[in-house]
Amino acid sequence: MKNTFKLGVTALVLTIAVACKKEKIEPTTPTTGTDVVTLKIEHTWQDSLEFALNTDLVNPLTGDSLNFTTFKYYISNIRLKKNDGTWWTQPNSYFLLDLANGTTPSVQLTGVPYGEYTDVEYVLGVDSTRNVSGAQDGALSPSLGMFWSWNSGYIMLKAEGLSPDASMGGSFAYHLGGFSGSNNVVTTKSHTFVGNSLSVTGNGNCQIHLSAAPQTLWQTAGSVSMNSMIHMPGSGAKTMADDFYGSFEFEHIHE
Amino acid sequence: MISTDHLNLSTSMNKLKTISKLLVVLAASSLVLSCRKAIVEPYKKWGFNSPDYFPAPVYNFENNKQDFKKFTLGRALFYDPLLSSDGTVSCASCHANSHAFAGHNTALSPGVNNLVGTRNSPSIVNLAWSPSFMWDGGINHIEVMPIAPLTNPVEMNESLANIILKLKASERYKKLFREAYGTEEVTDQRILKSLAQFMMMIVSNNSKYDQMKRGEVSFTATEQQGYSLFQQKCSQCHTEPLFTDYSFRNNGLDLTFSDQGRYLITQQSNDLGKFKVPTLRNVLMTYPYMHDGRFYTINQVLEHYNTGVKHTSTLDPLLDNGIPLTASEKTQIIAFLRTLNDDNILTDYWLSEPKE
Ligand code: HEC
Ligand code: HEC
Repeated sequence: MKNTFKLGVTALVLTIAVACKKEKIEPTTPTTGTDVVTLKIEHTWQDSLEFALNTDLVNPLTGDSLNFTTFKYYISNIRLKKNDGTWWTQPNSYFLLDLANGTTPSVQLTGVPYGEYTDVEYVLGVDSTRNVSGAQDGALSPSLGMFWSWNSGYIMLKAEGLSPDASMGGSFAYHLGGFSGSNNVVTTKSHTFVGNSLSVTGNGNCQIHLSAAPQTLWQTAGSVSMNSMIHMPGSGAKTMADDFYGSFEFEHIHE
Repeated sequence: MISTDHLNLSTSMNKLKTISKLLVVLAASSLVLSCRKAIVEPYKKWGFNSPDYFPAPVYNFENNKQDFKKFTLGRALFYDPLLSSDGTVSCASCHANSHAFAGHNTALSPGVNNLVGTRNSPSIVNLAWSPSFMWDGGINHIEVMPIAPLTNPVEMNESLANIILKLKASERYKKLFREAYGTEEVTDQRILKSLAQFMMMIVSNNSKYDQMKRGEVSFTATEQQGYSLFQQKCSQCHTEPLFTDYSFRNNGLDLTFSDQGRYLITQQSNDLGKFKVPTLRNVLMTYPYMHDGRFYTINQVLEHYNTGVKHTSTLDPLLDNGIPLTASEKTQIIAFLRTLNDDNILTDYWLSEPKE
């Protein structure tokens, strides 16, 4: 008992000592605890305009007129890197971002331990394990319509809408997925906070801002007039998903 | 029993009356008792059972531990047409207990509004050992398998979200979900895991073939000859003891493929016209045959292997010369195939339609 107590005191003293070295931390700030960090993803159109559903847009890359009715995708396995090089990994980290609820969706990371964080990492899509492990729940429930019934696997991104330029009857529908072999679209992304660090101290205001650009879906694939429908994994899905996932960029953090 | 002594007759009659009164009381009290526990005595103990000559099951029971209450919910769901859009079609409509859980001996099985798909409804036995599902193997896990028939417009034509709503509104299911999972909450995961609990229990392991394997019976001379022929000519693909190796092969049915089979899933041209090797357990009950139910009799199937094999680039090399069979060899093979009939599948209390 005594030994444990001594150890505890030493540890406490040490932590305070470490914490004190950093000027940022006020003496009154508790050194242990957890807080919520919000990850926000802003969707832009033509770099400056905000992306919107049910709105006529022109794709600057192809000249196509597009009106999106649906835009949803999965983000998963979110991790934050501490300045000591260790990672905090969010448990059961699966989110379906549905842009029908606003084009700057956010994800709440709860239970992030106090500390200084320098990087964020996440997966766009759903890792292969969850694609092959039977009935899931929560954000991965098949009832959300993001699971292929006849060719098992998650639809990791669904973009649907209307376009007079579409090859198929005035509409487009891209259901992108695939988790194995050359069809694998699942992509791990990481961004450093470019020299800054995010201090999680319990103020409840920590945010990480990213941006993504939906028009990049067609960057390599070209106009909707060539192919306006994808309904299974394959090279078409891979090209479009890779281009869109490639558009994710780090914007800024604030505390 | 009947006394020849006339003098004793009346006393016997009195005794009889008392006995019958007693019997009535007994019957009444047992009625009360049986009303308390309404379960009919099944003849077979409940539980998953894998014989030692079977390989290890593929299904991971760790993630969905065998549980009688979850199984009971799954059994109710499997037989319930409430799961279809118009309340007319259940899983059992196309996977009938009386037909070894295959269709009702029709090439194609009607779904809602009598619509039909393009493939024959397979016998769904021994799924715990199957690494993939459907004729093209497109489905990778038994728990997500039901989503296909439930949502297919020509089968049950319903959305998972609406099934959840219907089950939530049902007193019967409120009770079944509470008993199985502790709360009344209906989720698609609970529905799917329960259906898997039921399907895992559809195990065929008590045919004459199984009894022979266990040394309980022996084959007749004809059955034994058929067995030897089968081992020479069929078991490379229809591998014992499950009678499939679960591979995808083209057994030479067509020159052009209206159904591209495995290709639909992989998009690889060397998979064109390949289908999953089906189990042959209970095969004499599950006619018609092949992925589209084109052959009505087992004789037609054997004649196909004998003279009908069509050559295309994806034809299985084992069938390059077909499988020549004489009339007596066919008779022997059929005698062997008959030993794969497993009446337990038809009569097992736990697999039958539950009484509400
Ligand atoms: C309208 C008829 C119909 C209904 C209703 C139906 N099925 Fe099927 N089932 C089929 C057909 C046809 C196939 C083969 C489909 C294919 O390969 O494309 C099949 C395949 C299957 C398989 C795959 C078997 C294997 O070995 O690959 C399973 C498991 C299955 N069904 C379970 C169910 C369950 C559970 C339900 C109820 C939720 C159900 N089915 C409802 C017709 C039906
Ligand atoms: C090269 C592999 C191969 C060999 C050898 C083979 N089969 Fe098959 N068998 C298949 C495949 C694949 C199917 C399914 C084809 C389809 O439906 O497109 C099949 C289907 C069947 C069916 C239909 C079952 C059903 O439920 O529809 C029967 C019966 C059958 N085979 C019996 C036999 C017999 C008996 C032999 C030996 C004389 C044999 N097979 C040899 C691959 C093989």
